[in-house]
Amino acid sequence: MPELEIENLRKSFGDNTVLHDLSLTVPDGQITTLLGPSGCGKSTTLWSIAGLHRPDSGRISFGGRVVFDGARIDLPPERRNCGVVFQSYAVWPHMTVFDNVAYPLKLRKVRSARRRERVLEVLGLVELGDHVDRYPHQLSGGQQQRVALARALAHPPDMLLLDEPFSNLDAKLRDRSRDWLRSLQQRVGVTTVFVTHDQDEALSMSDQVVVMSGGEIRQIGTPRDVYENPADLFVADFVGTANILDATTLAADGTTATVRLDGLADPLRVPHAGTRTGAVSVTIRPEAVHIVRAGEAAGPNTVTAKVETVSYLGDHYRYVLRLGGARLVATTTRPVDGTEMTVRLAPGDLRLFEPETTPDHEQEYDDE
Amino acid sequence: MTSLRAPARPPVGGSRAARRPLRRLDGTTLSHYVISAVAGVLIVGPIVPVVVASLWTTPLYESGGEPTLANYRALLTDGAWWSAVWNSVLFATLMTVGSVVLGVTSAALFTRTNLPGRRLLAGIFLLPVVLPGIVLVLGWSTMWSQAGFAATWLRTNTFLSVPLDLYSVPGMALVGISVAAPVVFLFSRNTLVAVDPALEDAARTSGAGPVRALTTVSVRLLRPTVLNSTLLIFVIALEVLGLPLVLGFSNDIDMISTYLYNNWTNSSPPRHGLVSAGAVLMLLTVSGLLLLRNKLVGDVGRFAAVTGKPTGSRALDLGPIRWVLSAGMLALLSVMVLVPLAGVVMAASTTVFTPFISPWASLTTANFEAVFANPVFTRALVNSLLIASVGGALTTVAIAVLSVIAHRSDFRFRGGLQQSMMWPRMVPGLVTGMAFFWSVIVLDPSGAVRASLWAMGLAFAVRNLALGYSAFYPALAGVGRELDLAARTAGATYWTAMRTIVLRLVLPAMGASFVLLFVAMLNDAEPAVFLVTDDTPVLGLTMLQLAATNIGGNVAALGVIQMVITLVVLGVGRGLFGVRPNA
Ligand SMILES: Nc1ncnc2c1ncn2[C@@H]1O[C@H](COP(=O)(O)OP(=O)(O)OP(=O)(O)O)[C@@H](O)[C@H]1O
Ligand SMILES: [Mg+2]
Repeated sequence: MPELEIENLRKSFGDNTVLHDLSLTVPDGQITTLLGPSGCGKSTTLWSIAGLHRPDSGRISFGGRVVFDGARIDLPPERRNCGVVFQSYAVWPHMTVFDNVAYPLKLRKVRSARRRERVLEVLGLVELGDHVDRYPHQLSGGQQQRVALARALAHPPDMLLLDEPFSNLDAKLRDRSRDWLRSLQQRVGVTTVFVTHDQDEALSMSDQVVVMSGGEIRQIGTPRDVYENPADLFVADFVGTANILDATTLAADGTTATVRLDGLADPLRVPHAGTRTGAVSVTIRPEAVHIVRAGEAAGPNTVTAKVETVSYLGDHYRYVLRLGGARLVATTTRPVDGTEMTVRLAPGDLRLFEPETTPDHEQEYDDE
Repeated sequence: MTSLRAPARPPVGGSRAARRPLRRLDGTTLSHYVISAVAGVLIVGPIVPVVVASLWTTPLYESGGEPTLANYRALLTDGAWWSAVWNSVLFATLMTVGSVVLGVTSAALFTRTNLPGRRLLAGIFLLPVVLPGIVLVLGWSTMWSQAGFAATWLRTNTFLSVPLDLYSVPGMALVGISVAAPVVFLFSRNTLVAVDPALEDAARTSGAGPVRALTTVSVRLLRPTVLNSTLLIFVIALEVLGLPLVLGFSNDIDMISTYLYNNWTNSSPPRHGLVSAGAVLMLLTVSGLLLLRNKLVGDVGRFAAVTGKPTGSRALDLGPIRWVLSAGMLALLSVMVLVPLAGVVMAASTTVFTPFISPWASLTTANFEAVFANPVFTRALVNSLLIASVGGALTTVAIAVLSVIAHRSDFRFRGGLQQSMMWPRMVPGLVTGMAFFWSVIVLDPSGAVRASLWAMGLAFAVRNLALGYSAFYPALAGVGRELDLAARTAGATYWTAMRTIVLRLVLPAMGASFVLLFVAMLNDAEPAVFLVTDDTPVLGLTMLQLAATNIGGNVAALGVIQMVITLVVLGVGRGLFGVRPNA
């Protein structure tokens, strides 16, 4: 299976530039997820890869095979050998499950005996071996989605492209489908691009996550990277939830920074690469906010805050605390009594972002 | 480790500096260009010779000549032209007002009240939409002219008489109303049925009575529909030929269409330049009015199909008066639809049709036998059936192919293609016919093409293109875009994806479109007026020419045959593809 390489991809619809010089490598045989809010250009990227619309400029190659290169090369979708699963599944209603899956093989002139064998093999893979002769309207949403997947895998493709394939499923089925797709992909080993706006989906399924916003890539990394070391405030906020607190850097030497946080008596020492001082934002994940229990020593970096609301979410409790002018969300599996609690913000869990972490981007937005 | 790739900055000058690359010119794109170009030439091209002919001293089939405005001068200084214009405007105004009033009233009565028998009444009311117009005109003149069967019977046997002379402009307008009011009815019914009942409930809760709620809310919402149909009916009234030709004949009442017709066919030498000038003016007027309509109502009306959920809106209780209203409606529809249709059938099946001889005593099949024995009639019948079936089928396929290019491709000029498919709707049938006449004359001076059915068939196809397209388009729009894109990514070329997925899924709509085209092309007359030769008579025009000069049993028999074929085809179409009358 080839790797996918995208260089400086740009696409606009009329005056609206949807992709700003996107560059990205999807490693051979892995799942890469495009994650971002609605309208950020994920589908546009996917459709450009599949050849379903034409980017303005840039270059796309599968392994060594260039499928798009500015004005010079633009292979039509039928010659790119991708398998695509659309958000609507796009299972053809006038064909049986078998005929749907056989379609790409027929076009490739696979002999009928061999074709039948392959169709049954792929349908077995997606656990639809018993539904070969059904029509799509006789299938559930989840089954239709698997037909679409089987059809996308049949030829077999060089590249599997999935556009929010689970968004029409209920929560339970979606969870199961994720696990199942992940293990299927590992067995087949096909290079896969997966589009979603659901961060849980992105984190749980991917080898590599690409966080996008406004037609630009904010960060590329493993799920763990992206969650634990977000590149900027947007990523920190979009992937998982984050408390964002205003703070002031008093001193910074390139490895650690001394930061004063509103409401906290003593300044904190936070690992940080910058050297600038002044106003910054500090983030901490709700589950990283350590609740100091009765009898436990308070220690450094603690603060006592008023409890505003408590909600029970089944597997955990969620506390909203008031910390000076800011609000701080903390989650825990064990409830705490009282209207006040003491929490500890461990320096290792804090991330510090200077106001203009990505000056290039911000300026560009201002211009537009 | 965080691995953020800093995105490269856009080149100086911003994103707009990036030039749009040339599209790939592969086989698919090439086929799009070729097909669209051919379509454009066939649809829009033929108008050019009409304009040239109107500005040329000699007819285009004679060599020489030079540009001139004399044709326009002759036309505009001809008193007969101006009286024809006056008659047309008067006729169109009366017909439009009457149709809108009757159409909207009956739409409100039939869809939103508990009027007894409203389904049946609506069914009768709609008959003229599906039947060939000339048959109804024939029926009116058989029954309601001063010498007609029903008028005479009333005069002799009751104290009633027919107050209106059918062979006058108001009389013609009345006949026109019986054909056009159902069109308004269809438009208004769709709107009324789609009105959210909650809107009326809101009026009721704020203190309005039920009648007031209906008139202040729902009827007000009809305003765009009314505007739309007013302009549409006015345009139809300006261009219709059959009605004034048949009914205006005896009193020498000329309208624009008959003025052009008579100056072409009955004056010697034929005044081709003058008629072409008239056609150009007519085209400009009609296009102007339709553009005005599009501007005022937007494009919504263009693809108005007959759909709508019959549930949801509630019926207004009319109280005991509903029986009176129902009886009145039935009487009105009898006069306007049932009696004329019965008249045609009776005239076709009797030797003499007058109230002084019992029709039952003079029953005969002689009229039908005469029709089948007359080579002109049988040839017209065969020609029309050929044009309707073969032409209808080819047109359906052409519409399907053009529609997928216009709506399912990256073809650069697909917007223009969409426009040109709707363009024939702006062109009066007479003008389409003349356009093909001149084009054929210029391109094929030998006359071989004109003597075959192809020229006629092509003119009929172009004339009815928009009709078939309007019936076909909603189904195409209903096929999700991702269905054909999925086929492309699976390895299908553009045309394979269209053939195996999109066209396969809209096959029923193609069937429906074929049925509508078949009926329209079977009965169409106007485009044939200038194109017809001795070898190429067609049903609609033959009927019209005969009906203009005599109202004998033969014409009626031909009318009945036309009516029966139409109803059978529509019935079959309805059973197979759910075809419904479409405005
Ligand atoms: N055919 C089109 N014409 C014009 N603008 C478009 C078109 N397709 C997409 N866009 C615009 O491009 C932007 C990106 O669209 P895209 O579909 O790629 O978003 P997305 O990230 O897939 O969002 P979602 O999660 O909602 O599917 C949007 O602002 C959208 O309005
Ligand atoms: Mg999308």
